Amino acid sequence: MASLISELTRKKLRRFRAIKRGYYAFCLFALMVLLALCAELWANNRALLVKYEGRIYFPTYGAVITGDTFGLGYRYETNYRELKKVLAERPDDWVLLPPVPWSPYEQDYSTGSFPPNAPSLESRHFLGTDNSGRDILARLVYGFRTAVGFAFIALTASYTIGVIIGCLMGFLGGKFDLIFQRFIEIWSQVPFLYVIMILVSLTQPNFTLFVAINVLFGWMGITWYMRTLTYKEKARDYILAARAQGAGLLRIIVHHILPNTLVMIVTLAPFTVVANISLLTALDYLGFGLAPPTPSWGELLRQGVNNLDAPWIVASVVTAVSLVLITVSFIGEAIREAFDPKHFSRYE
Amino acid sequence: MKKLMSIITVWCCAFGLLAAELPAGLQWETNNEDPIFASPEAKRGGVFNMMMTSFPLTFRTVGPDSNGGFRSFVLENQLGLYSMHPDTDRPIPALATHWAFGDDHKTMYFKLNPRARWSDGQPVTADDFLFALEFMRSEVIRAPWYNNYYTEEIVDITKYDEHTISVTAGSPKSRQELLNTVGLTPQPRHYYEMSDDWVRKYNWAVVPVTGAYVIDEVKRGRLIGFKRLDDWWGNELTYYQHRFNVDEIRLTVVRDLNIAYRHFLRGEVDTFGLVLPEWWHDKTDTPEYRNGLINRIWFYNDIQQGPQGIHLNTSHPRLRDIRVRQGIAHAINMQRMLDTILRGDYERMHTFGTGYGDFIDYDIRAREFDITKARALFADAGYDRQGPGGILMNGEGDRLSLALTYTTQEHTSRLAILREEARKAGLDLQLNLVDGATGFKVMLEKNHEAAWLGWGGGGLYPQYWEFFHSVNADKPQTNNLFNISDPLLDQLVESYRITFELQDKAKISRQIQRRVDELAIFIPGYQVPYTREAYWRYVKLPDSKGTKQSPSLFWPMEGYPYSTGGLFWIDTKLQDELKAGGKQYESVLEVVETWRRKES
Repeated sequence: MASLISELTRKKLRRFRAIKRGYYAFCLFALMVLLALCAELWANNRALLVKYEGRIYFPTYGAVITGDTFGLGYRYETNYRELKKVLAERPDDWVLLPPVPWSPYEQDYSTGSFPPNAPSLESRHFLGTDNSGRDILARLVYGFRTAVGFAFIALTASYTIGVIIGCLMGFLGGKFDLIFQRFIEIWSQVPFLYVIMILVSLTQPNFTLFVAINVLFGWMGITWYMRTLTYKEKARDYILAARAQGAGLLRIIVHHILPNTLVMIVTLAPFTVVANISLLTALDYLGFGLAPPTPSWGELLRQGVNNLDAPWIVASVVTAVSLVLITVSFIGEAIREAFDPKHFSRYE
Repeated sequence: MKKLMSIITVWCCAFGLLAAELPAGLQWETNNEDPIFASPEAKRGGVFNMMMTSFPLTFRTVGPDSNGGFRSFVLENQLGLYSMHPDTDRPIPALATHWAFGDDHKTMYFKLNPRARWSDGQPVTADDFLFALEFMRSEVIRAPWYNNYYTEEIVDITKYDEHTISVTAGSPKSRQELLNTVGLTPQPRHYYEMSDDWVRKYNWAVVPVTGAYVIDEVKRGRLIGFKRLDDWWGNELTYYQHRFNVDEIRLTVVRDLNIAYRHFLRGEVDTFGLVLPEWWHDKTDTPEYRNGLINRIWFYNDIQQGPQGIHLNTSHPRLRDIRVRQGIAHAINMQRMLDTILRGDYERMHTFGTGYGDFIDYDIRAREFDITKARALFADAGYDRQGPGGILMNGEGDRLSLALTYTTQEHTSRLAILREEARKAGLDLQLNLVDGATGFKVMLEKNHEAAWLGWGGGGLYPQYWEFFHSVNADKPQTNNLFNISDPLLDQLVESYRITFELQDKAKISRQIQRRVDELAIFIPGYQVPYTREAYWRYVKLPDSKGTKQSPSLFWPMEGYPYSTGGLFWIDTKLQDELKAGGKQYESVLEVVETWRRKES
């Protein structure tokens, strides 16, 4: 795969970096994903560090540490916010809480008024709470992690299938091509949304099921592009040369055709990510999404719409959704521009 | 030839009359002495605007797709032989002026009101009741439940003359119970043709009714309008005077409740139900309320409440152990749910259904949330080690989890509280939302571990056989969601079924409730012993506001089985003033506790 980082590719990457809007969007998006991946470290009800009677505990990852351990007298998970108050009076012991000391599932009814509660620095609900008293920031972050995870896994799987089948259709042609064309035409007529709704109402919806359904119906789009491109490449001399030298089907596709058609995949990918995130959000919004109480943007959006007098809910989630979708779109746009051969030649 | 035919017909009729003769010594009763519950101050007139969230699939009340929300508008715009007085529980005259009980404990006799008319002007006669039975037994209506009910429970209707009939029930019953069974509504014989395409033919038919309103405007998918019959035959009946006061009812489709609420605030809908705590507390701080244009009322009624709560499926291996079930009951923090998300507005239910007087054992208290007790019980059952996430496990590595199936999206936030609290007791409560009808199907097929649902209340006394008898266990499509088969419970349920005297029956009922509590198969949820509504100031209510049995205060039709509807009226003068704008009043919030049930 040395050809992947060829001089040409390097030029394209340089060109991508030169397109500032896309490049900064990419940095921002990467940062968001990174933050979401280590969300447990900064938005969690478990403390980062606890020093208790000379020992140091790291509760964030690993097994539940019960209240007994810290002398709180109960056998379920320690409430670290409470522990912090208790230990505040003891000079040697202390608790280091994450900046957002709430898990996305905890209901906070401690404020006296009924949720949804407005953003407050004092209670550390930086974006307020939803109508069950759960922290909106925490739910946004964990919801983002799910959505992005879903988008990327679904993307990888459906592109793998789509690219392979597309290349084979283009390269083999003939009956194989014909049969698959017809099959895809029929398959793409199956109403995808209805299938999801029906399945969700029949079974307990979970992450794997959603990815599976998405892949089942999502691999077809890319096949057409790959098929056309492969047809084009196949007729080129270098393929003929490779064939003359006795290269097999797999070798030709992987080593010769794929690197030359990568443009298409890279260009389309960001837009598929946008589509996947929107899809999951839309399904959650409609109530056909992941099983409750999984944090999700769609669910937050619905709450926001039902509680317009609590504007922080709808404002947070709309901002978050817009931000992510716009960044990914910018990235996509920049990639397309950077990889556009015409543009490229004119630029140099 | 014609002459001969008519002679034969006359003879047949004569013999027919002779063949059915009223038994001697019938004690005819009527009831015009009970207190009137409508207000003499009520004024007729005005248009009452209501909303529904979807347009009905049919105007029929039986057959496919007929079991929707609109059904009550047709069904309860139909008077029966008698109705029930909502405050005294005694029958009151409707289509029948007098009634009598037969000696066989199965038959009731009725004298029909000769003035009763269908809305198309035809008189209501004994034949319409005979036809009702024929109608309900007919295959063409495609309603097997009704076919069966009107064969097994109502076995016969006899005509003595144009205005005298008897109705016979399938088995001997006490008087109160008989009244609960034989109160038929007639069907217009002159209107229906019982052909094979009945379902299709009458799908959108505006059928003549005996009630005060007729449908006079239909915009498919958008609106249904009712018009008050000015010369309604029931205008003079003792308990129907000053009722059904609005001239028109306009029922508009608004598909989203939030949008409907906006319509209400603008005065395009006249009343709005606010039972849900977040609506009652959070959505009523608008200028319309502050300026007293919209009033609020919190009205306690005393309606029987069907069982609501968590039904544990005992055929699930983990739930077979009674200690696990008891532990789960102690791990469910219903009180926190009531205090937090439900704002302390709903009340805990303690037994399998409540509000049935002597039939309920008010000494039974639902198991309280107690982590220590729960953990001790779980440990006894072998779940004694802490697994990942703080969830208990037993020696075989089985995690203590419970999948709770429920069908309403809105309940997610309530159950999420139970989930977080259950974790403290080491129980992993998984929320399994399965939408609407499919969810109920999952439960009926007994594929659930635990089911969160409420059953309808009503009736004279609670029903137990379908819920607890072992013949209904481990079988799909029965209401025994517990899959419980317990010999003692079986025995109690059987004797409950055949016991005739209400007092003895009540005693057995209390025993059944205690047994159900011992077995820990049902974790009682909450009850809502009131209705809460907001209404524009120009909508007026009687001084009593409502009756003991009023499910809602602004129901424009008759109500079933108690005659509770149509008590309100519209002050059209005030309405015009309010609509002109610029008015301000003291804001009104009433809490009416006349009928509030005192629980020990």
